[in-house]
Amino acid sequence: MTRTLPHPGSLVALTLLALVAGGFIALAVVGGEKPTLLSIGLYLWRVLAFSIVQAALSTLLSLLLGAALALALARRRFPGRSGVLALLGTTMVIPTIVTVFAVFAVYGRSGWAAQILSHLGWTGGFSIFGYPGILIAHVFLNAPFVARILLDSLSLVPAEHWRLASAFGFTPGQIFRHLDWPVLRAELPGLAGLVFLLCFKSFAIVLALGGGPSRSTLEVAIYEALKIDLDFGRAAWLSLIQLAICLTLTGVLNWALTRPPTTHTIRGLVERPDARNRRLKILDAAILGIGTLFIAPLALSPLGGLSHIVSVIDADLARAFVTSMAIAALAATIACLSALALASAARRWRVVHRSPRIAAIYDALPNTLLAVPPFALTAGLFLIVRRFADPSAAGLILLPLINGLAAIPFAYRSLAPRLLTAEERYGRIAASLGLAGVSKLAIMDWPLLRRPFGSAFALAMALSFGDFGIIALFGGQDLVTLPYLLFERLGSYRLDEASAIGLFIVLVAFVLAHVSGRLSHAGN
Amino acid sequence: MLRRTLLTLASLALAANAAFAQSKPVLTVYTYGSFAGKYGPGKTVKERFEATCGCELTWVTAEDAGSLVGRLRLEGTGTKADVVLGLDVNLAAEAKALDVFAPHGMVVKDLALPIAWSDDTFIPFDWGYYAFVYDSDKLPNPPKSLKELVENPNGPKVVLQDPRTSAPGLGLLLWMQKVYGDKTGEAWSQLKPRIVTFTKGWSEAYGLFLKGEADMVMSYTTSPAYHIAVEKKSNYKAAIFSEGHYMQVEIAGMTRTTRQPELAKKFMAFLLSEPFQSAMPEGNWMLPVKTPAAGLPAAFKDLAQPQKALLFTPEEVLQNRRAFTDTWLNATAR
Repeated sequence: MTRTLPHPGSLVALTLLALVAGGFIALAVVGGEKPTLLSIGLYLWRVLAFSIVQAALSTLLSLLLGAALALALARRRFPGRSGVLALLGTTMVIPTIVTVFAVFAVYGRSGWAAQILSHLGWTGGFSIFGYPGILIAHVFLNAPFVARILLDSLSLVPAEHWRLASAFGFTPGQIFRHLDWPVLRAELPGLAGLVFLLCFKSFAIVLALGGGPSRSTLEVAIYEALKIDLDFGRAAWLSLIQLAICLTLTGVLNWALTRPPTTHTIRGLVERPDARNRRLKILDAAILGIGTLFIAPLALSPLGGLSHIVSVIDADLARAFVTSMAIAALAATIACLSALALASAARRWRVVHRSPRIAAIYDALPNTLLAVPPFALTAGLFLIVRRFADPSAAGLILLPLINGLAAIPFAYRSLAPRLLTAEERYGRIAASLGLAGVSKLAIMDWPLLRRPFGSAFALAMALSFGDFGIIALFGGQDLVTLPYLLFERLGSYRLDEASAIGLFIVLVAFVLAHVSGRLSHAGN
Repeated sequence: MLRRTLLTLASLALAANAAFAQSKPVLTVYTYGSFAGKYGPGKTVKERFEATCGCELTWVTAEDAGSLVGRLRLEGTGTKADVVLGLDVNLAAEAKALDVFAPHGMVVKDLALPIAWSDDTFIPFDWGYYAFVYDSDKLPNPPKSLKELVENPNGPKVVLQDPRTSAPGLGLLLWMQKVYGDKTGEAWSQLKPRIVTFTKGWSEAYGLFLKGEADMVMSYTTSPAYHIAVEKKSNYKAAIFSEGHYMQVEIAGMTRTTRQPELAKKFMAFLLSEPFQSAMPEGNWMLPVKTPAAGLPAAFKDLAQPQKALLFTPEEVLQNRRAFTDTWLNATAR
C-alpha cells in the first residue's frame, strides 16, 4: 500500500483539534498561574449537577416528543404538511432572546395561557420559572428538530421492506418493531448526544427562565470569568471541565451507538400499510394535536412583531441582512466541507481499512466540537489571530469559523449516512473502475450527495444566521448582523423594533429550513 | 480648448480632494453597541467632532461595557483603539490594571456630578442613578426605600439582572451592599421570594417588565424620560428610595498606544464640551456631566431626583466584588 497524501478528512480532523487545543492553550498561557485555577467550589458543583439534570430531562422530553411526532408525521399525509415540516426545522435556529420572549408571551404572568385560564375562572396563577420554563424552552427548540431528523431517516426505509411488510400482513406493532424501531434506535443515541450538549451549554435561556442563580450552567461561570473577572486561566479551566464532561457523555453514547443498517435509499411507499389502523389514527391525531398545541403558540408569538416590520426596514437592516447572509454562507461552507471530509475519512476507515473503531472516532469528532464552550474558544483563537491579523479584522475571520464549527455536527448528520449508502450501492463498481479521490466523489458520491449537501448547507446557514454568541464580542460598525441589530435596538428601549427584527430572523430561518427540508425529502 | 482646460482642472481638483480625504487622520473610538447604533448619540457626536478636528472618527463597537473591557484585555497593547468610551466606573480598576490607558492630563472640574472627580486616567462623560422603574397605573404605591422593597413580604415583584453578566446587576449588588453592609446576605434572602428572575442583561429584564412579568425592574432614574419623550407615556416612573441611589458613571480614557495622541486628547476634551454633552440626554438617556446652557430637555426636568448618591471607589469594587458576589450567590442560589 502506498500512502502519498493524508486523507483530507485527517487533515480536517487535525486542524479542528489544533484549533481547539490552540485556543485553550492561548487562554491558559495569557491567564498565567492564578491560584484560583484548581478550585471549583461548592456552588459550581451545584451548578454542574443542575446542568446535567436539566439537560438530561430536556433531552429525554425532546426525544420523546420528537420521536412521537416523527412517527405520526411519517404515517400521515395532509394538506400543509410541508409547511409543518419547515416549521419543525425553524425552531432550533430561533435566537435565544426571541425564544425567551416567546415563552413569556405564552406562559408568562400575563401571557396567553394565563389569560385563557383566567377566562376559565382559574385564579391561582402559576410560575414557569425554574424547571418548567427551562424545559418548555428547550423542548420547544429541540423536539421539532429531533422530529425532522427522525422523519428523514424513517422515510429512508427501503421500499422492499415495506413490500415485505405488506406481503406478510404485519400488524402496526410489528411494523414498529421491525421497520421503525431499528431506524429510531440507530438515530436516537446520536441525537441524544447532540440535544444534551446544546441544553447543557444553554445559557441566556437558563438564566432568564431559571429564576435564580441556582439555575445556571457552567457556561455562565465561563462567561463571568472571561467577561467580568478577566480571569482567562479560570475560563480555560472551567472550559476543560465542561469539555471533559461532554466528552465522557458523547463517548458513552457513541459506544451505545450502532450505525444505521445502511439502507437503500429508495423511497418508502407513499402510504404506509399501518396508516389505516384506527387506533393509530386516534393516537396520531392526539400526538399531532398536542404537538401543535405546544409548538404553534410559541412559534407564532414572534408574529407580534409584524405590525412594526415596516418601521424597521431601512438601510441598516438591509446591510445587516447582507452581512448575516454572507457570514452564514461562509460558516455553512466551512461546516459542510469539513463534515464531508470527516465523513469520507470515516467511510474510508470503515469500508476500506475495516476499522470501525477509528471510524467511530471520526463520527464522534463533530459532536465533540459542540462540547467546546464557544466563548472560551473564541477568546483563545482571538489571542492567536491577533498576532497575524489586524484585531479589527479578527471578527471577520472568527465569526464564520466559530459558527461553522458549531454547525459541523448538523452537517455531518445528513452527509455521513449518504456517503455510506453511496459506498454500499456503487463502491464495488467504483473500485473496479479504479475511481478514487475527487473523481470518486464527483462521479460516485455527488449524485446521491447533492441534495443532502444542499439541505445541510441551508441548515448550517440557518444555524449561524441566528447566532448571537460571538458577534457580541466582535460586532461593530463594519460587522452588524441581524441579531446584533436586534440587541442594539433593545438596548435603546426599542422593544417593538427588536421584536420586528426577531420576526425577520425567524422568517429567514423558516425559509432556509424549508429549503433544507425540501432538499432532504425529495427523492433521488 | 477652454473646455478642455476646465475639465482637466476639475479632474485635478477632484483627485486632490480625494487624496485629501484619504490623508485625513482617523481617530478610532471603541464604544458599546447602542451608543453608536441608530438611536444612540454616536452619529451626532461623530458629525460634531469631525466638524472641528479635520479628521475622521470611526466607531468600533462591542456589545456593552463589560465586552469592551474583555476586548481590550484580549487585544492588549496591540489594540487599535485611540479612545475607549463607555466603560462603567465599577470596572475602572480592572480597566486600569490592563495597562492600556494613558493619563488624560486634563483638569476636570465643575462637573454636574454629585461626587468629586479626581481620577487621572478616566473622565466621566455621562451619569445616572440606578433605580427601580415601575408602572404607576399598576403600582400606585411603590416602596419608599430599598429597605421597604426588601423587607415587605407582600411587596412588589421585581426582575433583576445577574451581577455576573450585567452592569445594572452589579450596580444593585453594590447598592444592597451600601445599604445593608454585613447584613446584605440576609437582605437578599428576604427579597428572594419576590425576585421574578435574574436575566443576562438589562435588555431582557426591561423587556420582561414591559411585558408585564414583574411590577418593578432594576434600571435607571432616566428610563422614564425615554417613555415621556418618545412614547408620550408618563406612567413609567422611577421609585425614589430614601437611603439614596447607587450611581452609574460612564467613563472614557485614551490609550497609551494611540498613534493619534493629539487627536485623542482633543477628543477627550471634546467629551466635556457643550456639543458632546448636549447629545447625551436624549441620545444616551443619561444625564450630562455638564449641564447644557439650554438646560436639560423637558422630559428630564420632571424626573424624580434622588437625595443621596452612593458609590464605591473602583478599588473597593475590585477588592470586594468576588466576596459580594459570593454573598449574593449564597443567599439566592438555593
